[in-house]
Amino acid sequence: MTSADLTALAPLLAVLGVAILVLAVDFVLPGRDDLAVALGVVGIVVVGAVTWATGGGVDGAIQSAFGGSYAVDAATTFLDLVFVVIALITLLVAPDYLGPRGLPFAEFTVTLLFAISGAFLIAGSADLLVLFLGLELLVLPGYMLAGFHKREGLSTEGAIKYFLLGSFSSAIFLFGLAFVWGFTGTTRIAEVAAALAGGPLGPGLAMGLAFLTAGAAFKIAAVPFHYWTPDAYQGSPTPVTAYLSTGPKVAAFALILRVFVESLGGIRAEWVGAIVVLAALTMTLGNLVALTQSNLKRMLAYSSIAHTGYILVGLAAFAAEPAGDPSRSGLEGILFYTAAYAFMNLGAFAVVSALQRRPGVTSEIGTYAGLIRREPVAAVLMALFLLSLVGIPPTAGFFGKAYVILAAVQSTDPAVVALAVLAVLNAAAAAFYYLRVVVFMFMREAPEGMPPVGLGGILRERRLFLLWTGLAAAGVGTVVLGLYPVPILEMVVKAAAALVAPG
Amino acid sequence: MSGSLDAYLLLAGALFSIGVFGFLARRNAIAMLMSIELMLNAVNLAIVTFGAFVPALTTHASVIALMVMAVAAGEATVGLAIVIAIFRNRRTPLVDEYDAMRE
Repeated sequence: MTSADLTALAPLLAVLGVAILVLAVDFVLPGRDDLAVALGVVGIVVVGAVTWATGGGVDGAIQSAFGGSYAVDAATTFLDLVFVVIALITLLVAPDYLGPRGLPFAEFTVTLLFAISGAFLIAGSADLLVLFLGLELLVLPGYMLAGFHKREGLSTEGAIKYFLLGSFSSAIFLFGLAFVWGFTGTTRIAEVAAALAGGPLGPGLAMGLAFLTAGAAFKIAAVPFHYWTPDAYQGSPTPVTAYLSTGPKVAAFALILRVFVESLGGIRAEWVGAIVVLAALTMTLGNLVALTQSNLKRMLAYSSIAHTGYILVGLAAFAAEPAGDPSRSGLEGILFYTAAYAFMNLGAFAVVSALQRRPGVTSEIGTYAGLIRREPVAAVLMALFLLSLVGIPPTAGFFGKAYVILAAVQSTDPAVVALAVLAVLNAAAAAFYYLRVVVFMFMREAPEGMPPVGLGGILRERRLFLLWTGLAAAGVGTVVLGLYPVPILEMVVKAAAALVAPG
Repeated sequence: MSGSLDAYLLLAGALFSIGVFGFLARRNAIAMLMSIELMLNAVNLAIVTFGAFVPALTTHASVIALMVMAVAAGEATVGLAIVIAIFRNRRTPLVDEYDAMRE
């Protein structure tokens, strides 16, 4: 192993190092949750700094390790930074939820960090096998996190549904992968792309491609492969839901970027139709079902399905590009949307997590009545996240939606332009159920004699201080990505260029 | 066509289909877990077949098959742990009865 290898692997080694450190400290000093919190939060900040410092694409160079099966380019670094943000906000928000319920925080931190290491592995994979390993390393801790409240029926029920359908889809994905390997003779992403470039698609490869598509659609929870999502999201402890709705989803899109854009990008005319149909179904059904939900966690679960649909619009816009030198705005849209989605969705779930089971508040929407008087700052933040999910300027969500929809409108393929129209209609329909929560919080009166929610006392209680830091981070991200997106846009443009670069 | 690449791939496909059918038809969480294992073993059969019949793939095939086995073992471990956790809460392995969140 050379020093160049080490540079490429530094973010991955850093996150694994922090995870093992927290694990070791918990062995030596069991039950010291405050120590685990401090180590986890400081550790993930260090991981972020390492990722930033060693990041690929600063000068367009690609660093690779393990004989070229793991490569860090601008896209890897961008996605890694999104994962770091997701982990950091989750770790900040979680102690306030886990502590009072008697759930151990050290185990939570360690499991989360191992999952993040899987996400890093996916983002940097230059080999289909490494990609699959990363996927498994991402989802196995995810199943455990979903069942983290193991004495509670809902949590274990969500976990088993997540596990059964998750490993079912992993098997399908792997079957497709085996056929792609068998018929192209290589697992290297670049070599698969080269092998596919010549000649028409044989039946074995076509089958492999179909299985890969189905497996990936399960992982991003695209309709009709979404059945596990609402139950897994509703049942899991809320900080875990915040993570599950962002981390594995962004990682699954990283997987799609590596497999579909890099490896199968040359034959995109073969799969653009499937993506258009998946995108249309996903956003429409996600929004329609979200309209009827009375539980906020379940509503946000369906809303996350709808957002998967919007991101797929960006993929369809790229896939409809003619062969040769494609426009990259669809890919840029996907990447920007994932960052925006991470901030706003984490924020929304973080508010739900903070309020859940405080006096008079559950995850039912009705209990949010009059929240503006009972806990004004939390209500304003929640309104900000919901408006961003709607896509109202000047928030992150607006830029994300505008980016993918503009990319689709500029397409030469009429089906993709129709998809853009459908996305706009969907965004308008979605405003109804997001704004309903805002109406409850701002315009309804709370029942008489409700005690205060009790999220004050930042300085007295460390858990509340962390919680508000996490909420503030999500809020700042949501606003900054909307008001001043230029730095992120520069990274996104470089990352998209790295994805379609030859070689 | 016995002894050919196609015959073994068809066998792998048949095993995989039995696994999918078992997963969709059985309502017992343990049986569903077994069906997933069957699917993963079908994948492994396909991988080993490619290795046996395509000379260029021989060295890779055994490595990939070993890796799939390791992943399958990890998945079974986590899966059984979750099944035990929910069995303690619900006293049943039947997934039909895990319906606390149905709307």
